[in-house]
Amino acid sequence: MTIETRRSFVVTALTAIVLAVIGGSVGAQQPGREYQAPRAPGGKPSLEGIWQVRNTANDDLQDHAGSLGIAAGLGVIVDPADGSIPYRPEALAKREQNRARRETDDPVAKCYIAGVPRTMYLPHPLQIFQTPEEVVILSEFVHTTRWVPVVPLARIDGYESWIGDSRGRWEGDTLVIETVGFNDSTWFDHSGDYHSDRLKVTERLRRISDDTLSYEAVIDDSQVFTRPWTIRMPLYLHKDRDRLLENECHLYAEDAHESIVGTHPEVKP
Amino acid sequence: MSARGSTVMHWCVGAAVILVALGVAGRSVAQAPAAPKSSCPLETAQFHPCALPKIKSFKPPRMPDGVPSFQGYWRTQHNGAATDVEPGPGSFAIPATKGIIIDTPDKKIPYRPEALARRNELREHGSLDPQAHCAPSGPPRKNFTNFGWKIVQTPGYVIFLYESMHDYRVIPTDGRKHLPPAIKLWHGDPVGHWEANTLVVDYANGNGRNWIDMSGNFQSEHTHVVERYTLIDPDTIHFEARIEDPTLYTRPWTIAIPFTRNTDEGYYQLEYACHEGERDLQHLAPGEAGEG
Repeated sequence: MTIETRRSFVVTALTAIVLAVIGGSVGAQQPGREYQAPRAPGGKPSLEGIWQVRNTANDDLQDHAGSLGIAAGLGVIVDPADGSIPYRPEALAKREQNRARRETDDPVAKCYIAGVPRTMYLPHPLQIFQTPEEVVILSEFVHTTRWVPVVPLARIDGYESWIGDSRGRWEGDTLVIETVGFNDSTWFDHSGDYHSDRLKVTERLRRISDDTLSYEAVIDDSQVFTRPWTIRMPLYLHKDRDRLLENECHLYAEDAHESIVGTHPEVKP
Repeated sequence: MSARGSTVMHWCVGAAVILVALGVAGRSVAQAPAAPKSSCPLETAQFHPCALPKIKSFKPPRMPDGVPSFQGYWRTQHNGAATDVEPGPGSFAIPATKGIIIDTPDKKIPYRPEALARRNELREHGSLDPQAHCAPSGPPRKNFTNFGWKIVQTPGYVIFLYESMHDYRVIPTDGRKHLPPAIKLWHGDPVGHWEANTLVVDYANGNGRNWIDMSGNFQSEHTHVVERYTLIDPDTIHFEARIEDPTLYTRPWTIAIPFTRNTDEGYYQLEYACHEGERDLQHLAPGEAGEG
């Protein structure tokens, strides 16, 4: 080995070591690795607070241009890598039909419970509370309640519902929620993406900074999709609000048609 | 059938629809409740005087931060108040009510005359009952639901999770103020604090459209309610609510009922989706009462 090549070798090796050290330290500083979330009673990371997404996932989970009732936006699907929903070929027609009729047929447009995971990325705030035994997720939209026990509790066979039947567990600092027991009536977004009553959703919530939750959901429904697929997005902390208000959507719709609920025209003061 | 009757019938039909929709023998609603354990009789007339000394003497279990713990599942013993907070005669499918008002001589609401006339009109129009439209009920009515409810506590909060219409109430106990008065909500704005072993909840910001029961007893947007929750033994909560509204009532009036602990093994609350499955309201339209 000549002096030149030895020098070159040493420089290369030193460069590699320096890069490895820098790379390692950069990696260690990534949010979610070193961040220590505040603790809730019982010692688990606190997910408490009022949270909301800042994206257009509620309009369309995939990359999308703008259209009626839909703001243009980037997709939130991280698996498959191409960001598309892996529909079975025969299941795609219903999505196209849903999408065409979205202004009237979207269950959220009808003020119905948005289901899971959609409740988590509606353009409405939600508040999380937790005890050592449970996590409670309350949405402002049509006062939706998600109750997630993190202790063993037998499920009820055959149960069908809009919000599903959730069970939670902690994997390290990540809250994992598995939910089944759905009906087939909710959509994933305003673009008509849908599921059957065989839907299983596995969500992962992790506080990655004081102001940010990482939210991920794996959608598994072999009736409609060829394989499970995954969405991921941040939820941000509301710092300017100390309580949920309300969004009683269907009552506002009744009021728009001159509702007299709770009053009486002949005796109204 | 009277408007009262048709409203009750609405709920019966509604409950049946829900059970069918669930496709299960919904154990949280269909199972006959176990006999509640309480150190006092549950009828308001006997319960309230029996409970009063226990409010001061009972030492409740406590949360890690020292406040009394109400955590768990509860059943309301509303003594007919879901139908009528006043004493009322029974009719088909409706038991007579003995009333739950504890501080008026006739157990009736001390209405101003014009408000009483309006109440009498409203009770003939069950289709206007907000609850029949799946509207959230403010206090005290939400606590009259025949369905179960759960209390969850975290530091600084008491959270009520109701099975009925998946309603929730978040009660902060950190001393914060009410919302600005321009914000009127179906839920109103409850803020709480602790007085000895009693959770005191101050309710304001109601939108004034809630009814108090199925009989047309009503509130206005000026209605102010002070609720008091106190454990009188390990399995019984004394609930009291003082309702004040000079625009409707000649004086404040107070109700009292018990809640008893639900200790059924493996119990949890199922979904009561109201608006999503509602197909009974048409039967409550004036002139069609009872046809549902």
